[in-house]
Amino acid sequence: MNILDDVRQSVIDGNMEVTQKLVQKALAENVPAEQILKDGLILAMSEVGRLFESGEFFVPEMLISARAMKSGLALLQPHLAAANIQAIGKVVIGTMQGDLHDIGKNLVGMMLEGTGFEVIDLGVDVSPQKFVEAVKEHQPDLIGCSALLTTTMPRMKDVVTALKEAGLRDRVKVMIGGAPITEKYAHDIGADIYAPDAASAATRARQSLN
Amino acid sequence: MTKREIIQMVLQGQKPPYVPWSCGFTQEAKAKLQAHFGAVALEDALQNHLLKLGSDIGFFTDLGHDHVQDVFGVVWDRSIDKDIGNVEGCVLPEPTLKQYTFPDPLDRRFFADIPDRIAKYGDRFRVFQIGFSLYERAWTLRGMQNLLMDFYDHPEFVHELLNTIADYNIAQVKAALKYDIDAVYFGDDWGQQRGLQMGPRLWHKFIQPVLKRMYAAVHDGGKYVFIHSCGDVDEVFDDLIGLGLNCFNPFQPEVMDVAALMQQYRGRLVFHGGLSTQKTLPYGTVEDVRAETRRLLEMGRAGGYLFAPAHDVEGDVSLENILAFIELIQNQPGYRNN
Repeated sequence: MNILDDVRQSVIDGNMEVTQKLVQKALAENVPAEQILKDGLILAMSEVGRLFESGEFFVPEMLISARAMKSGLALLQPHLAAANIQAIGKVVIGTMQGDLHDIGKNLVGMMLEGTGFEVIDLGVDVSPQKFVEAVKEHQPDLIGCSALLTTTMPRMKDVVTALKEAGLRDRVKVMIGGAPITEKYAHDIGADIYAPDAASAATRARQSLN
Repeated sequence: MTKREIIQMVLQGQKPPYVPWSCGFTQEAKAKLQAHFGAVALEDALQNHLLKLGSDIGFFTDLGHDHVQDVFGVVWDRSIDKDIGNVEGCVLPEPTLKQYTFPDPLDRRFFADIPDRIAKYGDRFRVFQIGFSLYERAWTLRGMQNLLMDFYDHPEFVHELLNTIADYNIAQVKAALKYDIDAVYFGDDWGQQRGLQMGPRLWHKFIQPVLKRMYAAVHDGGKYVFIHSCGDVDEVFDDLIGLGLNCFNPFQPEVMDVAALMQQYRGRLVFHGGLSTQKTLPYGTVEDVRAETRRLLEMGRAGGYLFAPAHDVEGDVSLENILAFIELIQNQPGYRNN
């Protein structure tokens, strides 16, 4: 069996130690880092996303797979940097001002990294102004806004408005998600992407780059 | 008939003279209601049928700067969420209980107000509350992401942690059974907007056997078992009934088909909740709230149902929308003529 098949399986199994060993082995066998990333780690996380969406995987499985993926990615990073391999895109994520619930946002971050994005996590309780500043500083392709509460979801509209006022709305796509969020709400406030869960957040973010 | 008898009728599968209710409100929503009702105590204005005893989320030491510490040692940041807060730090940074001592389950504060409350509101159905009753207690101590990974990394630790939490709860249940209570109301959110957080396989492996012990302790005392678990968890209803569950809350209409489930489980499981707090209450009109309330009351007329908003009403709900459902439930002919 191809070593990259084994890398993929170890990530899907959430077996961090095995992933690390296999990534090191692949590097030692001169498999290019970019290929280990794309055909190993990213393909594995894409399968994890599919298993999550189809109801075979749940949060624990996603967490241990993401941990395995990250541990492999950390080993690849110096090689990727040396070969000047860029992430497929950049995303700034955070929970809405007044919302401290972050597990959904963290899962989205992990799945985005697993899809090949660079993720800048602003954490919790992020004001619209802070999103604007982060867009100026990091120039991301997307921002991801998360809310668990009906009391904080209106801040998503404020983020869209703040981006418009700062003249940045055309430079970044806005993705939103969280328990009370719907496709209609995303449309109503002028967001670009609605993500019902972490796996589809990664899929839709990637699709939005095309 | 007393409110207590009405609830007992519902739990025994009989058709009540009207749909009973017990509605909860967050601090912000309570303040709006209190301003409206003026001098009348909210307990009297709302006429809830459940008398809540004990403490749903426990007791806290004020640490200042909007931070409090619960009896388990967990620090909560209440700068934004004033009712519960968000966990700060991690009491169990390693997957072991070796360095940790559980608090006293028989802390007098959990039982102190029971005699007075029963004396004052004795016509109501008495529920002893145990919040954060298993999985939630575990993750507040260990951190949610840590615990979710521990299911795979340290399964023996998870079994030990959950069983130790259950021992604590069972000791508290046994003490509560010395009072003239009717039920124990556990609270433990397992769900998310779609499915169980830990998935059904891990729920069955880790959570279900421990619930069996806790529910048995209540049934052995001849009392009813209620559970509050947010999210889309109806896939485990049959398992819960098998464990002896009598009533499920919050029955969120955004994540489950309340009409179909009420029909499917009538006679086997009572539902408490049902009115949309993610959509109708904050975003609907007064007429939307009335229409949904009427639908629920109509469905519950045959029994098997206690009306309530599907979560404590949040501060973003208008007073008009709150009063709209209160007016309808209190104007049921069966209640007015009771």
